[in-house]
Amino acid sequence: MCSAMSELSTDPSSATPEGRSVIHDLGYRPYTGPRLGPAAIARALLVTGFRNAFGLGRSGRSKVLPFILLGLNILPSVIIGGVMVLVGLKELPIGYAQYASTTQVLLGIFVAAQAPVLFSRDLRHGTISLYLARPLPSATYAIARWGALLGATLVFLVSPVVILYAVALLGELDVSDQSRDAAVAAGMAVLLALALAGVAGLIASWSTRRGFAVVATIALLLLGNGIVTAIQAIAGEEHHARVGEVAGLFSPYSLYRGLMAMWADGDIATPPTGVPMQTAYVVVFVGLSAACLGGLVWRYRRVATA
Amino acid sequence: MQTQRLTKDYGAVLALDALDLEIGPGITGLVGANGAGKSTLLKILLGLVPATGGRAQVLGHDIATQGPAIRAAVGYLPEHDCLPPDVSASDFVVHMAMMSGLPKVAARERAAEVLRHVGLAEERYRPMGGYSTGMKQKAKLAQALAHDPRLVLLDEPTNGLDPAARDEMLGLVQRIGHDFGIAVIVTSHLLGELERVSDHVVVLDGGHLLRASRTDEFLDATGVLLVEVLGDDATARMAQALAAAGVATTPRGALLTVDATAGHPDGHEVHDSHDIHDIHDVIRDTASDLGVGLVRLQVDHRRIEDVFSDE
Repeated sequence: MCSAMSELSTDPSSATPEGRSVIHDLGYRPYTGPRLGPAAIARALLVTGFRNAFGLGRSGRSKVLPFILLGLNILPSVIIGGVMVLVGLKELPIGYAQYASTTQVLLGIFVAAQAPVLFSRDLRHGTISLYLARPLPSATYAIARWGALLGATLVFLVSPVVILYAVALLGELDVSDQSRDAAVAAGMAVLLALALAGVAGLIASWSTRRGFAVVATIALLLLGNGIVTAIQAIAGEEHHARVGEVAGLFSPYSLYRGLMAMWADGDIATPPTGVPMQTAYVVVFVGLSAACLGGLVWRYRRVATA
Repeated sequence: MQTQRLTKDYGAVLALDALDLEIGPGITGLVGANGAGKSTLLKILLGLVPATGGRAQVLGHDIATQGPAIRAAVGYLPEHDCLPPDVSASDFVVHMAMMSGLPKVAARERAAEVLRHVGLAEERYRPMGGYSTGMKQKAKLAQALAHDPRLVLLDEPTNGLDPAARDEMLGLVQRIGHDFGIAVIVTSHLLGELERVSDHVVVLDGGHLLRASRTDEFLDATGVLLVEVLGDDATARMAQALAAAGVATTPRGALLTVDATAGHPDGHEVHDSHDIHDIHDVIRDTASDLGVGLVRLQVDHRRIEDVFSDE
């Protein structure tokens, strides 16, 4: 390459006729810089996946849905903030933890719609074979993709909590009370995000069709929750609380509500009572997330060797 | 790249059957009918699919134990579609370069450079869903080159291209192998293409190695000269005169073929190009003496297809 450059520089006037600038083709230049390890590659995949989940780095059209959903999800907390400031309430009209339960439909749609962006898209368009032809192992790929969905879901879940917390502090509510409640809500948000990212990711990784993954995830999350809620309501009315408590183990949203009744202020039909049932709620919640992540890793190992 | 008794058994199908192969630098064409085991071989070499038996080394790395090291140094262009439609080629190649371990700034520079080399200009900023097949193949090639690999595996790079785009792609393959200094293994079921660009040709058939040798050996092995003369009854007179001069000819249509390796006017065996030039001289002088127009005197290039009919 050096010789090529020196050849060019021997007679600069011939290279730039009439003083105009010319683009020189220096030929192919090998890359001699650093090559990063798997950790850095996984981080890059995670960041790109997180951006892609909100449509960033993709076509303009793909930004519309995630940002509309995010806007709708945050809107109530902003309105509450306005009301707080204008009226001067002595407490937040909605609990931090309760917020996610109230906007669960938006959350379900967001996760269902954006999980296929991270999982189905690579399978559908065959891009997965390019990832697999690169140094990153399939398990790391699966975990990085899952991490991106988890991050996006967390942004969705935690941002209203942060806004409410800021509003509460501006409204001069008790700092220690508010900090504790907000922290509990953030912790529960992590648990819910883990479960939702796992379930939605696993479904999306089994479907090369985006539409199918979206419908299946929404059906499982929202219809499943609807059924569980109905059972819990009936069980509460009929004084068979145990039935409702057990039913609550079968949907991420009802698990979340169960934890909300345990750790925050939440009034639900059949809150988990007794230590064994409460432990079961936590174990099932965490176990569901872990099982889904394991399923994802297993799924991509199969894709890699197919 | 070397393989020793490499075997891949898909249960019902034996894709590769104890394949012993050695591929050096330069451009190597991997030829075979659909299902001959070409794609399977590439996947095994990438360390994606485990071999059922045998061993193989790529760039000095063992496929069984050093898959990540191989994949870091090898670029792969798969046969099927692999481009997300809602991402621009520019963003995509940057991302894939980073997936090979390049830092972000370096990935951007490399992406711009390889996209220029493959000839994607302004369209690199448009989503790839709107690309023509030719542009898609270029984008696929660009991602395979993004991390400056030492070896690229190109699986049917000319698939679905029109003749002009096919020529352009073959030209690119040739540049990668000869100007960029990157070893190339390129598969195709169209033999004529590989004949043009590759230095070596490996012919696979049903998981077996049919033949592996330099492309020019495939093409020049006949040693047959084609002679065409013009004039009244020229072909027959020429044949007689050449026979008199001690050169045996065989008519092939309106042409005469001379087996330059068979013998020589002086009676001794021909074994170097010097003697072949003597035959050229004899043919030229004979035509001149007879007063017929010598319109063609050329080496009979075989085609790689002939290998199949030979076997």
